[in-house]
Amino acid sequence: MKNFAHINARSLDEAVTALQRYGKRAAIIAGGTDLLGKMKDEILPAYPEALVNIKTIPGLNLIEEKKGTLSIGALTRLEDIAIDARIIDGYPALAEAARRTASTHLREMGTIGGNICQDIRCWYYRNQNNRFACLRKGGGRCYAIDGDNRYHSIFGGSVEQGCYAVHPSDTAPALIALDATIKTSRRSIKAEDFFQVSVAKTTVLDDDEIVTEIQIPKPAGTSAFVKFALRKAIDFPIVNCAAMVTVSKKKVTAARICLNAVYVKPYRATAAEDAMKGKAINEANAEAAGAAAVSGARPMPYNAYMVQIAKTMVKRAILGCA
Amino acid sequence: MNKDDRERIIAPEHTLRADKYPLEDYSAIGRRGVRRKDGYEKATGYAVYTTDVQLPGQLMLRILTCPYPHARIKSMDTSKAAALPGVRALLRYDDPELPERADVSGHFGGGTEGHEPVLNRVGYWQGMPMAVAVAADTEDIANEALGLVEIDWEERPFNLDQEEALKPGAPLSNPESFPDGNFVIPAQQREAKVVWGNPDEGFKEADRIIEWRMRKDKENWVGPERPNGLFRWNGEYPEVWLKHQRPHLSKRQIARFFKIPVSQVTVHCLYQGGTFGGWSQMALNMQPNMIAGILSKRTGKPVKWQFTRREDFCGAGMDNARYQVKVGFKNDGVITAVAATSCFARKGFAHLGHFVENTRVHHLLQESNGAVLNIMPGSAFRCEQNMNALCLGAVLNRVAEALEMDPTEVALKNDGVEGRPMADLADLKRAHGFGGDRDSLKECIEVGKKAIEWGGKWHLPGTKRLPNGKLHGMGFTFTHEWSDSSGSGALGMRIERDDGSARILAQRCDNGCAAETAYCQIAADELGFRYEDVHYRQFEEAGFTTMTPDSSTNLTVNGYAIRNAARQLRQKILEIATTPRIPERPDMGYYPPFPDYKPEDLDIKDGVVYVKKDPSKRMTMAELVRPAFFMGKMDIGSTEPLFAWGWQNQQGAFMGTPGPRPIFVRQAHFVEVEVDPETGDIEVTKVVNANDVGKAVNPEGVEGQQYGGSVMGISRARAEDTIYCPATGVVLNGNLIDYKINTMLDCGPIDTIIIETGMGYGPYGSVGIGEDVATVLPSAYYAAVHNAIGAWVDMPTTPDRVLKALGRL
Repeated sequence: MKNFAHINARSLDEAVTALQRYGKRAAIIAGGTDLLGKMKDEILPAYPEALVNIKTIPGLNLIEEKKGTLSIGALTRLEDIAIDARIIDGYPALAEAARRTASTHLREMGTIGGNICQDIRCWYYRNQNNRFACLRKGGGRCYAIDGDNRYHSIFGGSVEQGCYAVHPSDTAPALIALDATIKTSRRSIKAEDFFQVSVAKTTVLDDDEIVTEIQIPKPAGTSAFVKFALRKAIDFPIVNCAAMVTVSKKKVTAARICLNAVYVKPYRATAAEDAMKGKAINEANAEAAGAAAVSGARPMPYNAYMVQIAKTMVKRAILGCA
Repeated sequence: MNKDDRERIIAPEHTLRADKYPLEDYSAIGRRGVRRKDGYEKATGYAVYTTDVQLPGQLMLRILTCPYPHARIKSMDTSKAAALPGVRALLRYDDPELPERADVSGHFGGGTEGHEPVLNRVGYWQGMPMAVAVAADTEDIANEALGLVEIDWEERPFNLDQEEALKPGAPLSNPESFPDGNFVIPAQQREAKVVWGNPDEGFKEADRIIEWRMRKDKENWVGPERPNGLFRWNGEYPEVWLKHQRPHLSKRQIARFFKIPVSQVTVHCLYQGGTFGGWSQMALNMQPNMIAGILSKRTGKPVKWQFTRREDFCGAGMDNARYQVKVGFKNDGVITAVAATSCFARKGFAHLGHFVENTRVHHLLQESNGAVLNIMPGSAFRCEQNMNALCLGAVLNRVAEALEMDPTEVALKNDGVEGRPMADLADLKRAHGFGGDRDSLKECIEVGKKAIEWGGKWHLPGTKRLPNGKLHGMGFTFTHEWSDSSGSGALGMRIERDDGSARILAQRCDNGCAAETAYCQIAADELGFRYEDVHYRQFEEAGFTTMTPDSSTNLTVNGYAIRNAARQLRQKILEIATTPRIPERPDMGYYPPFPDYKPEDLDIKDGVVYVKKDPSKRMTMAELVRPAFFMGKMDIGSTEPLFAWGWQNQQGAFMGTPGPRPIFVRQAHFVEVEVDPETGDIEVTKVVNANDVGKAVNPEGVEGQQYGGSVMGISRARAEDTIYCPATGVVLNGNLIDYKINTMLDCGPIDTIIIETGMGYGPYGSVGIGEDVATVLPSAYYAAVHNAIGAWVDMPTTPDRVLKALGRL
């Protein structure tokens, strides 16, 4: 690893100032579980010259519930979210998503803010020593298209140029299903608008913008999160899914369903939501909703199996809300 | 000393027959709860591994790795790299000091592997270390320098798949060494076609014949300690720290390479950090050491090298193979003939050997094809018997399926040795010195079935859906228990003067679970000492060859060496204890405690020497060997040093080599799975290992191998595969996130059962277990998955393959 400046920001303003000073040559570090791996593997063409450490900013590590809103500081560690009784009881999709993220060690380091800001997953993009100059690195092509794409997008490439990487966060779909709002140093953004499909970035954040808090309204219905991965102890999802379903008189009145690891950003399964409206939560209806969720899937040569799994995950997330 | 005594004490035991001299009583041997000799060091982090060694002023060496699967360097400019501050030396492929080709293979020391250029101008697989090496003050500087090397590459067409590579018109994978085509007789086979009996006859005898194709993909070894080494010159002669299972062979290679006497090479061998056969087997194993040696000499500084995890992933993998198998069998389950053609990526391990070694099937045809490919070389880790075990397990279970029989019954019907049924082999067992009454496979199957509740749970394939919607499967396989490679072990043993404890002096042999502890258990019982009074002292320099040449055997060879040394030492102790006194100088030197007895009148137990007929006449070892006062001033040793050495030479058991050993010990494995038909996920809910290890010297060590082997076995069957990009030939999952090594959580509860029939050829009737479980278990898992879904799924059984087999894709 090469040398870099390490700036301990004492306040949000200080962090923002440092980010403005370095521009694109800086990176924000909190838990560092994604960033340090990227740096050690030298997957990017250039190293950040400075890391702006935001762990030193007070007040960003908290879990509070008041006036019907749950506030989680951006620096709250995933493990703290996974074991918080208020979240387990009131926001089970988020608690479960945090619990299923990575391994115990990583959850003890990684933060919720970092988890939603993490970089995409693609074994061409992340191949060591910047082996593939792909679209995201300013190159001319996405190597996954002609290569082995068993862990890539089943819903097509990013809009502009066709990056087929996937967004791997477990907490992101839970936050979208729970209709969370992401507060930053500058503004508030709905969770589902927070992510983007650009080949340059995974979120809509500006270079000098920092996530400070996540706010989740008291869920009207029940929520659930399911994840399919190849290993239990530690793994990124092949597919995950979060759902929040509101039921009245045994009929679904509202549903928010979000898949992840299937597209460049979390994939809101609106077709599945529509399919459930007015229906009871049962095996047949959930199955049909699952089928609806993947009706627009366009799998690549190696990842048709992910469609079947995605369909199942949607179904199980819905049934988990019963 | 008469002939029998001589044979008993000095000559190595004959390894083609049962142990002639087992003990009557065991105290330390087989005892549970003994404190592991390496336990404290390893648990606290004080154990020193090669990667821990740092020398003052050392440089870090990095070698360029080929970015392409097949490419030649047209031109290379290293001037910018050489000029980078901190770069101390640089070695290019065209350096005049480099020989055209040299023995850098590691495994065979110049045997069957071809010699290679030390730094090749052509890369034959992505990740191959080649062309240029840099030694610099830090690893970062060396890496930066490699980045400054300007290379004009000529990319060549490449082959990733053996069947494609053998088609007419396929490009040459290695035109320099294999200009006539990609076909090779696999490196591990003497001949492409091996026949036992008369396969045509065997198929004629059959009531039914079935055929199928199957494959096993390429897994990676992933040792916890990455490949590394350290080389320095002390004046004219080198001193080398090697992470290696066979350092005594590497020492010879270093001597040959640098044209210096072997006696002047010092090689240190420390703890191993998990080898599993892997690194020591790799094609260019000694390459970085030789380069480090050259650059250490030029710079006058120690040179250390260490591969990155990703580079390690590109080094070598277990051979992937495709098989076409044909089996003939009777309606009662007796197999009459097996013919199997394999297509390997060059290396090509045997695949029907286990039928010879532990079945009654005497008509066999094994055909091995190999192809030179542009993927990492094949290697042997977790034992190359995997192919043999897979074919045996697949045949057994396919026949059971075809006849709708319980596979354990098919196994018992076909159990045997070299074409003879086990039921007829009592005489052969006796001829080899064993009792002849016990039937190892029957015992393994009996206890294993009970542990997994086979009776109530086994069903015909694809017929049981659980209340949770999952498909339930039970799998079984068996084969023999082995520790059958040839080799020798040598070591020393001495008595500590002050406290009378014993020390084994031997090269560190950190293979397997608790090997050094097990040696101490043997020494304790043979000497008559308490286990706590026997210690293992690493004789760090590679000299005592306690690692057998291919590392496949450890305790079964070295256990004899320990015993030979201990018996001699015990005899010496008793002789010294009974030395006549020197009447004229009772005040000087040693004062023998039992002058009026002969050695045979005495015995040693719990470290106390006593007269057998009158145990009240006794003396502790510490008292016996204590230093004497000499002239009232100095503590000195006044007897000869109590030292002995032992060795053992084991003949191999491979069929076709002189003196094969019919193997009577067996292992049986059982796996229970639940398959999720909607996702293709396979959950292993129970594993049972029943291993007849003959005699368990260290039962926890045996169980350690069963637990570790089970996790490895499930992992390689369920998930592991080194994935190459079909378009670019680059390894895509060369890291521990994308390469899906399974963990304990993916394995379900593991029930370890030890069976002790005493029918091993090792000391006390023991036989090895280290390679066995991880190698054999995959076949049981393979069968369990089939039993659940009613279709065969190639390993690794990834969700896409399972869903396809279920008709969901």
